[in-house]
Amino acid sequence: MEKDSFLDANVIINYANYQTDKSKEIVNKCHLYISNKQNKFIICYAVIRELFNIITKLTIIHIEVLKKVENISYDLNKSKYLPVRYMPIAEKLYLAHKEVNENKLKELFASERDIFEIEIEKFLKNKVDVKVIPVEEIKADLVSAIRDIIENYADCQILASALQYQKDKDLFLLVTADKKDFNPNSYEYLKEHFNLNYSKENYKFPELLNLMFQ
Amino acid sequence: MNVRKTAEQIKEDILLCLKETPLSIEQIRIKVESNWSTINSYLQDLTKEGKVKEIISADKAKIYQRVFGDTYFDIPITDDERKKFKTLFSLIIRKYKEINNVPNKTQLAKTAVKVINSPESGLSELPTVWYLYGAIPLMIADPSQDYQEEWAFEHKHKINNIIEVYIKNNHNKKSRQIQKEQHLEYNDKLYQLADNFLELTEENSWNKEKMFEILNEFCITCPIDEEFKEVFGITERFVSTVRKLSYFDSLENHRTKILLTFDSIWKFIATYKFYQTISVKKRFSDKNLLNLYLGNPLAVRKACAQEAFSDLYSIYLSKLDDRKIEISPEVEKIREIMQDWTGED
Repeated sequence: MEKDSFLDANVIINYANYQTDKSKEIVNKCHLYISNKQNKFIICYAVIRELFNIITKLTIIHIEVLKKVENISYDLNKSKYLPVRYMPIAEKLYLAHKEVNENKLKELFASERDIFEIEIEKFLKNKVDVKVIPVEEIKADLVSAIRDIIENYADCQILASALQYQKDKDLFLLVTADKKDFNPNSYEYLKEHFNLNYSKENYKFPELLNLMFQ
Repeated sequence: MNVRKTAEQIKEDILLCLKETPLSIEQIRIKVESNWSTINSYLQDLTKEGKVKEIISADKAKIYQRVFGDTYFDIPITDDERKKFKTLFSLIIRKYKEINNVPNKTQLAKTAVKVINSPESGLSELPTVWYLYGAIPLMIADPSQDYQEEWAFEHKHKINNIIEVYIKNNHNKKSRQIQKEQHLEYNDKLYQLADNFLELTEENSWNKEKMFEILNEFCITCPIDEEFKEVFGITERFVSTVRKLSYFDSLENHRTKILLTFDSIWKFIATYKFYQTISVKKRFSDKNLLNLYLGNPLAVRKACAQEAFSDLYSIYLSKLDDRKIEISPEVEKIREIMQDWTGED
C-alpha cells in the first residue's frame, strides 16, 4: 500500500505555479505528484499558515515593484519591507515590466495573485485529506531541539508537526522540494542528531521524499 | 499633627493621581499615602460612579484608568486644553447660530480641526487625531453640550474669521461631503479610497473594473507596519477575497457581507490610524502608556475584523469550484517569472 504524504509548503507553492508546457522541472514534478494523488494528503496547520504568509509576501513584492515602476529612482535595495533574499525576483519582475502602464500592472499583478491563491485554495479544499496539529499544539521543546540543526523557524515548526503526528501513525512520507534544510543528507544528519541526543523521546522520523532529488 | 483624610478627599486624591496616566493599586497607594485595602475599596466606589475603569495592561496586571468621558478612548488632555477646546466649540456653535443653524457633530468637529490646523489661530498645539471619518479633535465635539468660553484666545478675532469662512463654504453640505473634502484637503489617500469604494458600492450594479482599481490601490496604500502586521494582512486578504469571489459569483449577491466586512476592517484600520497619529505627538510617544489606552480597543477591532473576514472567506470557499479560469498572456508571463520563487525563507 502507498504511504500517505505529509506535504511541505514548497510542494504546494510549486503546484500552484504550474503552467502547461511552460514550467521548469521541479514545478512539473510537484504538479505531477499532487495531480496523480496515490495516497492520503496530510497538511499541518503550520504549512497552511506558511502558505498564507507566502501570499502576503508575494503582495509585498508586487507593491515594491510597483513603487519602482512608478518612480524609477526608488531603490528596491533600500526597501524596508523587502528582504534581501527576495531582491532577485523583485528585480526580475521589475525589468520585465518597467515599461508597462502602472494601473495596468497593478491589475496584472493582482490577477496573478488571484490565480496563484485560487490554485492553493482549490488544493486545500479538494486534495487535502487530513489537517493536523494546530499551531498552538506544536511542542516548543521539539521545535527548539530541531532548531539546533535547522535555522528556519517555519521549517522547524513544520517538521515538529510531522514528528508529533508520526508518533502513533504508520510511517508516512514527508514530501518536500526544499533543497536546503530537507535535502537527503541534512535529513539523515538530523535523524542521527536526534538518535544521539533525544533517544529517550523515541521520535520516529517520516520517510523523506524530496522531489528535488528524485 | 496628621489629619485623617475624609473619604471624599481620598477619592479626589485618587482621581488626581490618575489624571495623567493609568496606575496600579500599588502605585496609587504610594501616591495617595494610604493602604492597599482602602484604595481598593475606594476604587470600587469610583468604578461604580463611572469615574474610573479597570483595564488590563500588557503584562496582565490590573490597572485603573480615569474616565473623562469627553475625549476619545479617555485619553487625558490637560485642563488648559479642555478649556481651549470648550471655548473653541462654543465659538463655533455661536457662529452657526448666527446663521440660524445648529452644527451637527461632523460640522462641529471638522470646523474645529480647520481652526486648529490654521497657523493664524495659534491653536496648533491642541491635539487632533485621524479616526473613522478623518481628522477630529481629541476632545469629543458634542453639539448638544452647552459649551462656554473658558479661555481668552489671543487670536479670537482671527479664529472667528476662520470659522465664518468655513461655515460659509460648508454649512449646506452633508456630513459625508464635508468628510470627503477634508480627506482631499489633507491628501490622505487611504481615506479617499475608502470614500470612493463606499460610493461605488451604492450603485445597483457594481463597476467591477473600477472597484478593483480602487481596491488594488487601497491594498497598496494600506500601511505595512511590523508592529501591526495584521492591518496590512487583513486588508490584503479582504481585497484578494473580493477579487477571487468575483470569478465564481456575482459580487452584488454578497453586497451586505462585503460591506459589513469592509466596515469592520475599516474600524480596525481607523483605530490603528488613531494610534499612529497620536503616537507621533511628543506627549503620547510612550508606547507602553498609549497601549494602556488603545491596546484593548485595537484588540477588539482586530478580532471583529477577523471574524467578519472569516465569514466572507467562508462564502468564497463555498463558491470555489473547479472551473477553468482564463489567464491572459501577460499574467502567464508573470507566472513564468514567479516559478523561481517559493516564498520560503
